[in-house]
Amino acid sequence: MWRTAWAQALANRRSFVAQMAVMVVNDLVWIFFWQVFFRRVGSVRGWTVDDMMVLYAVLALAVGLVLGALANLRFLGPLVADGELDGALALPMDPLGFLALRQVSPVSVGDIAFGIGLFAVVGHPTPARTALFVAVTVAATAVLAGFLVVLGSLAFVSGTGGAGDLGLSAIIVFSSYPINIYGGALRLALFGLIPAAFVGSLPAQLVQHPSPGRALLLAGGVAAFGGAGWLSFRLGLRRYTSGATWTGV
Amino acid sequence: MTAPTTTDGRPNPTRGLGAIWFQVAHSAASSARLQPAALVHTGVHYLIVAVAITTLWTRAADGHSGTIVGYRAGALVWYLAATEVTAIAPPLRLIDRFGADVASGRFELELLRPAPALWVRVAAEIGTSLPRTAVCATVGAGLALVIGGAPETPVALVLVGPALLLGVALTIVAQHLLAAATFWLLDSRTSWFLYQKLQFTLGGLVLPLEVLPGSLGRIARLTPFAAMSYAPGRLASGHLEPGWLLAQVAWLAVLGLVTARVFAAGERHLGDGGAS
Amino acid sequence: MTASPSASSPVQRAPGPAPAANAVIAVDDMRRTFTTGRRRRRRTIEAVRGITFTVARGERLAFIGPNGAGKSTSIKMLTGLLRPSAGSVRVLGLEPWSQRRALSRRIGTLFGQRSLLWPELPARTSLATLGAIHGLDRPGLGRRITELGELLEATELLDRPVRTLSLGQRMRCELAAALLHRPDLLFLDEPTIGLDLLAKQRFREVLVRLNTEHSTTVFLTSHDVADIEHVAERAVIVNHGTVIHDSPVASLRRTLLTTKRIEVGLARAQTVADVRAALGPDIGPVMALGDRPADDGMPVDGIAIGVDTRRQAIGAVLDRVLRHLAVADVSVADPPLEAVIGEIYTRPAATAPAVVQSLRDGPS
Repeated sequence: MWRTAWAQALANRRSFVAQMAVMVVNDLVWIFFWQVFFRRVGSVRGWTVDDMMVLYAVLALAVGLVLGALANLRFLGPLVADGELDGALALPMDPLGFLALRQVSPVSVGDIAFGIGLFAVVGHPTPARTALFVAVTVAATAVLAGFLVVLGSLAFVSGTGGAGDLGLSAIIVFSSYPINIYGGALRLALFGLIPAAFVGSLPAQLVQHPSPGRALLLAGGVAAFGGAGWLSFRLGLRRYTSGATWTGV
Repeated sequence: MTAPTTTDGRPNPTRGLGAIWFQVAHSAASSARLQPAALVHTGVHYLIVAVAITTLWTRAADGHSGTIVGYRAGALVWYLAATEVTAIAPPLRLIDRFGADVASGRFELELLRPAPALWVRVAAEIGTSLPRTAVCATVGAGLALVIGGAPETPVALVLVGPALLLGVALTIVAQHLLAAATFWLLDSRTSWFLYQKLQFTLGGLVLPLEVLPGSLGRIARLTPFAAMSYAPGRLASGHLEPGWLLAQVAWLAVLGLVTARVFAAGERHLGDGGAS
Repeated sequence: MTASPSASSPVQRAPGPAPAANAVIAVDDMRRTFTTGRRRRRRTIEAVRGITFTVARGERLAFIGPNGAGKSTSIKMLTGLLRPSAGSVRVLGLEPWSQRRALSRRIGTLFGQRSLLWPELPARTSLATLGAIHGLDRPGLGRRITELGELLEATELLDRPVRTLSLGQRMRCELAAALLHRPDLLFLDEPTIGLDLLAKQRFREVLVRLNTEHSTTVFLTSHDVADIEHVAERAVIVNHGTVIHDSPVASLRRTLLTTKRIEVGLARAQTVADVRAALGPDIGPVMALGDRPADDGMPVDGIAIGVDTRRQAIGAVLDRVLRHLAVADVSVADPPLEAVIGEIYTRPAATAPAVVQSLRDGPS
């Protein structure tokens, strides 16, 4: 099924290559920004340009994986709101898994390749660091996916799928900056409410400065948001009766 | 129903293009009322981006005893709050939508009207972005007051309003110029991305132009992108440099004329059966 | 056309005055070629090859032809969207291509498959914007929208977002947009396409009323034979880029639109022979519905009856069908346009010398 989705998305090759190139240019511009920024500023609250490069590599890879390979998660809210889960529920497999894998957006291969390439070039990839990089990227991907499922599941209650877009841009924007710059309530929120810390900064710190405490914290984040995603979808499904529920115009 | 021979309610051919422009813009602006959720969405989106970038620069300035790249922390916050308005307030995916309208033939129908299609389109897009600009600017001013404190030169702030409007208008005209490529090539989505990146770097959206390496900053200042974003940022950060408004008006005139010429050529191309 | 009996258009025309002074459209030998493909694969396509006709003020004209006949290309040249490759075109005394903007103040256009209304907004908002573009002042515009709402029975539709309207409802709003500036001449390109039967009928009625009450000239393209019968007073039929027939609909009805087809779903399967026997000897041709071989003697579920309306009233035949057959379902259809065109091609030379002659010679 996943292979079918890929084949379909790859059909228009020229526009695919152009869009992928655009993604890479987009990432390069951000790298340019951080290089110029840190050259001028030195470091911000202990964050250096090296930390930032690792953060960006993890983030590009995690975002690429979630928006590329699990592209449908992004549209979970509208799918729920429009009552389009019926098809998924009728299948003999886990409906969430089916929905997540049903659609791919190969354009995100650009982000994935960029994340890997960036780490290879500026991430000082020793075997140990590479293993850590892979592990934290998986964790970041899981947290991001879990968060998107929570956002989408809100539609079971609200009946509208609008929260997804804003939530997605919020977590991506906040993940792209070092967590240390935020203070107080906002910082707490970025761990507990919009888990941007688990998608960008914490994985990067773990690669740069491994410590059991950070590893535990990240594992906790994965458990919490992975679980929250799974649970909210389960609970939501109980409320979901049929396609007609929310579209009774 | 009156007979069509009466002159009542008949179009008035002498009515000027200026009046048409304002009425179209007004009509587009007031239709924002019908979609309040979209305005809220825009405001929240702006707030997220502005909080992140202003916090970053404030912390950076903290490490340099409060002044960095020639800006004091507070001034830099006002700068970023203004430049981000010019990034978020213009209408979304203008180039995409234009491309779709040319491909579907909808644009062609706009040629069957007494006012130039480009004129009407620009009026409608500027009208649409007026409420968006107002929302972003209000949120931005509030944020700047909270994080950056009172503006250093309140007089300069008076010029920020017009500078923001001119900046947004410039981005709309520039995007139409890029979108005109659609008349000859069918896919223009990539040009939209590249445009964004140029505004990001050469417009000084998140990096004040003073920070750019080598002579890049000086070159960027001479581009229309600087007039779009850097100009209102510069004024908001307390620099009383009214010359930027003149630069904006000049760029608007230049880009407007070029775009009008390109559109005229594109419309001729359509009429010769160029695209079907 | 009395004005220019050019040799390039030897088309049958009913005698009738079409004084040039009264003409809102005067087209003489209009042509349009397109080139497609690149370099070596370059091909030239003649979409319109020499069309000549005039339309008088207040006429309702149907410009009919199958897909690819050159209808859309013609309407684009008449409205000024496309430059003719050759020939002369005058609409309301203007040359459309070079005077498109001036012309746009006096014509209304509606293209069936392209919307001018913003889907997310109520039609009223779109109309206000369009009114502004046409330079209508505010009070005049408000009055005009009210008038059109009443004329098109669309008053309550104007305040709903356009995307929530049915296609038929939306088309009435699109028509309001086309009529906003009180055009003298209305161009409609396939306006009834995709509409259901009822919506089509309603739309056609509006067009006729508009024409009779407000003397708006109506120029309509379609490939639906019913549009000719119910809207137009005159039909111009085009095929392969040329006019192959031009006459008042009344005479068309006598000569070409002479057959109807009654399709009957049978409640009990019967053989075609039984049906023919039940309906009597003077009934028209009876065929099995579907792809059954002509008559294999097996009972069938459905039959079609051809009716020559010059000899038999359609009601009388229906009456007999209902009386003598166990009917589950019945419908009456016009012949498809292709059949009408086929009829033009095969008619004996005596009734249409010019057409047949031109077809034998082939397009020049």
